[in-house]
Amino acid sequence: MKCLEIRNVSYRYEGGTDNVLKNISASFESGKVYAIIGQSGAGKSTLLSLISGLDICRDGDIYYNGKNMRKIDRDEYRAKNVGVIFQSYNLLLNSTAAYNITLSMNISDSNIKERQAKKNHAYFLLDKVGIDRETADRKILKLSGGEQQRVGIARALSHDPNVVIADEPTGNLDAKTEKSVLEIISRLAHEDNKCVIIVTHSKKVTAIADEVISIQSGQLLCKPMNL
Amino acid sequence: MYLITNAIKNLVRNKGRNILLAAVTLAIIIGAVVTLTIHNAASRVIDEIRLDIGSRVTIEQDIMGMFRSGMGVEELAENTIHIPIHDWVRFADSAYLSNTIFNAEVFNLESESLLPVQATPPGTNILQDVPFRILGSSELDETLSDIIVHGRMFEGINEVVIDDELAHINNIELGDTIELNALLSTWGELAGRELADKPFELTVVGIYSADLYERPLFRFSDIFTSFETIASAGWESNLGLNMTAEYFLRNPDYLELFENEVRAKGLPDTYIVSINQPAYDRVAGPMLSMKSAVMTFSIVILILGSLVLALISFLVIRERKYEVGVLRAMGMERGKVAFGILTEAVVITTLCLVVGLGLGNAVAQPIANGLLGNRVAAAEARSEELQQDRVAAVVVFGGQMQSEHSIGYRPESEITVAISANVIIQIIIITLALAALSGIIGVVIITQYEPLKILRERS
Repeated sequence: MKCLEIRNVSYRYEGGTDNVLKNISASFESGKVYAIIGQSGAGKSTLLSLISGLDICRDGDIYYNGKNMRKIDRDEYRAKNVGVIFQSYNLLLNSTAAYNITLSMNISDSNIKERQAKKNHAYFLLDKVGIDRETADRKILKLSGGEQQRVGIARALSHDPNVVIADEPTGNLDAKTEKSVLEIISRLAHEDNKCVIIVTHSKKVTAIADEVISIQSGQLLCKPMNL
Repeated sequence: MYLITNAIKNLVRNKGRNILLAAVTLAIIIGAVVTLTIHNAASRVIDEIRLDIGSRVTIEQDIMGMFRSGMGVEELAENTIHIPIHDWVRFADSAYLSNTIFNAEVFNLESESLLPVQATPPGTNILQDVPFRILGSSELDETLSDIIVHGRMFEGINEVVIDDELAHINNIELGDTIELNALLSTWGELAGRELADKPFELTVVGIYSADLYERPLFRFSDIFTSFETIASAGWESNLGLNMTAEYFLRNPDYLELFENEVRAKGLPDTYIVSINQPAYDRVAGPMLSMKSAVMTFSIVILILGSLVLALISFLVIRERKYEVGVLRAMGMERGKVAFGILTEAVVITTLCLVVGLGLGNAVAQPIANGLLGNRVAAAEARSEELQQDRVAAVVVFGGQMQSEHSIGYRPESEITVAISANVIIQIIIITLALAALSGIIGVVIITQYEPLKILRERS
């Protein structure tokens, strides 16, 4: 089932002269892992920004569950429907790991209403990505890059989104944690029926992907198998 | 609810910058509490002084004005218009007045049946006759009633209270009648008019005993009676008579209306209708100066403080740009981010309000005392300098006493400063304005932020 669809999308940054994305079309289904690959500056992260609702395309349209992204509340879309794992983590540095998760649940108006239950769920998610209780109660500033990355992953999953978007999610992880995170990501798609889109350079990530999309100079070079 | 919880947690998480914000806000609030409390207290005292002195109107011949217009002493005497005693009384019949006090003094009196008391003037050892005076007042003199040793205070027409020494040497008892003659013919000769002497037959109803040195206002031969007793004697002119009238306005703002009324009743242009401005200036001067100073200080504090607060708020929100970007990326709406920032500002300013009200109230009184004390001392010093060149003399023209109006008045040197409901309301308004200033700057800035832009800058 199509979850996300991009049609003839082009994008140019403000003040820029060339399009970063050039007339791209693609579709993404629930229950699959998509790996987007390409050289630096090819437009991968820009594409992620557009499908995660952080930016809006100048030309073309993006549809989520058949609704044009221009016509939906993008704040609500980010809060409830999509979980983003940023390359640079983008966590609240002065807050604890657990608080970052519970705040995300609050923003998304999570089904878990009780304060302690939210906290327990946060600990559960963090534990799944290898963050123990003690580390969960530490401020982000005091965590290593790998730990922050894992907190970012847990936060992206905190509100049970339909779409999980990740920008180099395993870039800062050791081999053991990387394996465990990839297992989680794979299960999200194949067991929980989420649509997982990952920008990566890692072969281990592409290995678990159902489809691999390559972008070069703003254009799709090899189309996904199902297009 | 989580927005408020998050805002409060943010306050604790970012202690450093919030302490800085709180310090500036607290300084502004304390400054505002102190200045507004002192300002309000000073205004209250000034209003009381205005009601007291500013409502007391005197009608006087404009001697200085006549001098200034080039009149010599002779011309002055020629142009002096005497206002008959019944006109002074007629002026008092006004809706703008709450009360009037008349004082009249008949001097140059002689008596065939009474011996004057003899006394030694200060600095000499020669016994001299103390001249008779009849003093009439429309106001019950409590000082006099306090020292009556026999009989009672005068009530009816021609009832008088006399000195015990005068009673002793003349064997006067209560109920006796004394006879005095006002020598108006003498004044008439000087003024080129024919005037008959005015006889008084007065009944002694009380005898007072005054220590000359302790009570210098009383002289041995003074005979006290009501103003009506003097007024009812019938006076063609004011020669031989000193007269003062103090009219008390219901409201100090009625001065102009009252003046128009008495002018319409025939008050000559050479007379001025005024409040005792020198006395008002002397009494209220330091208070007015302090009020003006604290007002200026208050404005400076609010303007400078607001600018500093705005600058700090601007810097703080720039520092929080990343946090705003993260929250927006997580899907928090602009309005909710703004609400959180406003909540933080409100919590900080509310805490500062509570502390500021307490601290400000505690320091306001000593500060007010210090400010007022300095100004009173300065005013006294200035006044003493001026007094060195002046003689506090009584100048008598046309039966009207004119004197140094501020003599006997001292600057108001006490002020009770206490925080009032009015000040609290004003401070709450200022606090809300500060919270709004601090919060709105943040809100305005964050509404211009796009989350992706912020996060990209960070990356």
